[in-house]
Amino acid sequence: MRWVDLKASIKDFWFEFRRQKGGLFGLALLFLLIFTALGAPYLTEPDIPTKWSQYWEGNPTTVPPVWYNYFTTKKLAPHEILTSNDLRITSPGEDIGGGMKYYGFEFTYENNYDFPPSDIIIRNIGVKLTDLNSPAQIVITLVRPDGIKIELLNTELREGSVYQLAKDGKVRNAVFQWASQFENPQKIAQAGETLKSTMDTTKVIFGKAQEGILTNPEALKGTYIFQVDIFTFREGDQIDLSTTETILSGRTYGFMGTDYKARDLWSGLVWGTRVSLTVGVTVAVLTVLIGIFYGVTSAYLGGWKDEFMQRVNEFWASIPTLPILILLGAAFKGHVSLWTIVFLMVAFYWTGIAKVARSMALQIKEQTYVEAAIALGAGTGRIIFKHIMPQIMPYAFAAMALNVPGAVLTEASLSFLGLGDPTAVTWGQILYDAQTQSATINGYWWWVIPPGLAITLVAFTFVLLGISLDRVLNPRLKRL
Amino acid sequence: MGYGRYITIRLLNALLVLALVTLLVSVLFTKVAEEDIRSSIQEQINLKLRSNPELQRQLAADPAKLQEWYQREYNRLIHVYELDKPFWVRVIQRTKDTLTLNFGNTKSPIFGETAVGKIISKAIPRTVILFTTAQIFVILIGLLLGVKAAQIAGSILDKGVSIVAMVTSSIPMWWFGMMMILIFSFKMGLFPSGGMTSMPPKEGFAYYLDVLYHMILPVSTIVFVLFGGWAWTTRNIMIGTMQEDFIMAARAKGVPERKVIYGHALRASAPPIVTMTIFSLLGSIGGAIITESVFNWPGMGRLYWTALQQNETRLLMGVTFVTVALYLIAMIIADLAYGYLDPRVKVGASQST
Repeated sequence: MRWVDLKASIKDFWFEFRRQKGGLFGLALLFLLIFTALGAPYLTEPDIPTKWSQYWEGNPTTVPPVWYNYFTTKKLAPHEILTSNDLRITSPGEDIGGGMKYYGFEFTYENNYDFPPSDIIIRNIGVKLTDLNSPAQIVITLVRPDGIKIELLNTELREGSVYQLAKDGKVRNAVFQWASQFENPQKIAQAGETLKSTMDTTKVIFGKAQEGILTNPEALKGTYIFQVDIFTFREGDQIDLSTTETILSGRTYGFMGTDYKARDLWSGLVWGTRVSLTVGVTVAVLTVLIGIFYGVTSAYLGGWKDEFMQRVNEFWASIPTLPILILLGAAFKGHVSLWTIVFLMVAFYWTGIAKVARSMALQIKEQTYVEAAIALGAGTGRIIFKHIMPQIMPYAFAAMALNVPGAVLTEASLSFLGLGDPTAVTWGQILYDAQTQSATINGYWWWVIPPGLAITLVAFTFVLLGISLDRVLNPRLKRL
Repeated sequence: MGYGRYITIRLLNALLVLALVTLLVSVLFTKVAEEDIRSSIQEQINLKLRSNPELQRQLAADPAKLQEWYQREYNRLIHVYELDKPFWVRVIQRTKDTLTLNFGNTKSPIFGETAVGKIISKAIPRTVILFTTAQIFVILIGLLLGVKAAQIAGSILDKGVSIVAMVTSSIPMWWFGMMMILIFSFKMGLFPSGGMTSMPPKEGFAYYLDVLYHMILPVSTIVFVLFGGWAWTTRNIMIGTMQEDFIMAARAKGVPERKVIYGHALRASAPPIVTMTIFSLLGSIGGAIITESVFNWPGMGRLYWTALQQNETRLLMGVTFVTVALYLIAMIIADLAYGYLDPRVKVGASQST
């Protein structure tokens, strides 16, 4: 085919296709999906696939997205990370005699939420000790908007120390001690221990100082100042605050919330596009090419060869796909790669296409121009590829698009059963995790809805494209 | 070619498929099972040593003796589990066992049984109940909507059916089930989130009502995802038939429109519709199986899920074998039904073209 012809036929095609509203919509969706898949490293972070299977340290687990606040009357604190730029250094290492030094910094937190952060984590304080047996001392004090000062923690500071204030027993004791003065003394005497172990530390810290602070704390909004004082005891001990990080673990996180491994679901959704598109399109294209090749060859060869190839096809087609795929997936469990899955799907899906291609090829074979080509001494390959294939190609393109949804859904189903590639970020796998962690019963909607919608979107895109292509390229099949 | 021979060829083909699939599966799983057994043998020996302090004391004194005891124990267990036989003998044995429905036992009891055959025979009726009920609704709604849409082709209803069909065929059924649980069970609290009965099960008539109540969510999930595609297929077939000459003839001779549609057109469209029914039924088995496990329905789907989660290879083999067998039976029925409804179609008919 010459270049001009190709250009002309593409022009013709576009002229027809333009009038398919559904097709244009599908095309727009396809561009959006491709854009997301290609832009994944820029939309999120480039190292998502490598760290996806791990627990994401520092993030809150199973919290809804930030925009959830627009739909609730009680506001939930978002996830915030304060770096050293957000800290105010009050003392950069004042010498207080006897080899002791005093470092101090503070940070403020504006609490405008009904549900304050679930945890406050202070980490990465650069500590260099000359003698490991004499650690530094750290004192964390909170100044609340109502003027009350609470010493939350007074403990040792060593290299690599991480302070998770909500999980720390000492903080719990201190906070309980402080809060119990507002409660009914009788209640404290009766159920003090249970109250202490069940109270939500940060809710109390950020709660109104009134009766009920332990059982049903009401948020006190305003500016909170956390003062951190560090004392070193030996000459030569060094404290470096430039890497210090404070994490205010949110009750909401990012665009799409997090799952039980504290992973950012938004990243998972964006990266999942790649797998879904790649698997869907590869399977569809390979399936159709193999199917057409098989069908055309069978039709062209005819006679007992055709008969044999058709028997093989029928035999293969009568194997139920999904149960066998599940079984094969289980046999390779744990070390299935995406390409194995692609290969298996192609191996089972080509039969239907081969049947249609054969019947089409049988008709074309009887055309006079094919007879003419045979009379001119054209070889088998030339006739198949030059004369029969081009006639079938329109059908092939439509079939490719129409085969994508099935492949996408099957891949998702396999991942959902836990049989997918464990190293890949896939939507099916996110839903598998959701299912094993009973996300539906616990109402983690942000974990369940988006991945399924994404799968539906990809499948729907190709259904739209496929039906429009079918209408344009196979006008004979047009119904009505 | 006679009908009898047609059936025989179909049956033989199905049996061959079943046998070959089983063989293939046996090869895979003999390999998997071997690794499983080897690690379990290690565990058993260690357990035996640990639970017997007398033996421990004796062997601790003499490392050579320990080695010898270990080897003897290992060889004994290898023999018990028949790992000393050649690979192919084991594969053939397993194929034979599976084909004669000897699936063996699971490691831990499921539905209160350990024999795989019994577990499966408990699960099948439950799946059939759920699936048949849903399918009856799908067929009824699909047929009515499809015929209606074909009758007024191009109308809003017709376009609506096409759009619904396109959208629902893109939805993973099991995900839709999760959504149903999220909305109707978690948010609204109207229906139970899973299971077939309340715990503990009720007695007498209340039991059946309870099962029906538990069926509502899964059945509506299946119906919602499948009815659109059904209606669309029916519509397409019907539109094809409605353009035939005999319909025009019927109309011309004054047959009432209702009778033209339901008497003539639908009757003529029956063969493809019936086959489509059975094939779409088969196609949706996979999705429905996974959906079942989402709703914790104690049927075949749950068995798949449990087998995969707990590494019950024997159960998985049994379930797969039964599914494949059922699938093949349904396929034969589809073929026979088609051959019955449309006598032109017989095996080998393509040869004459």
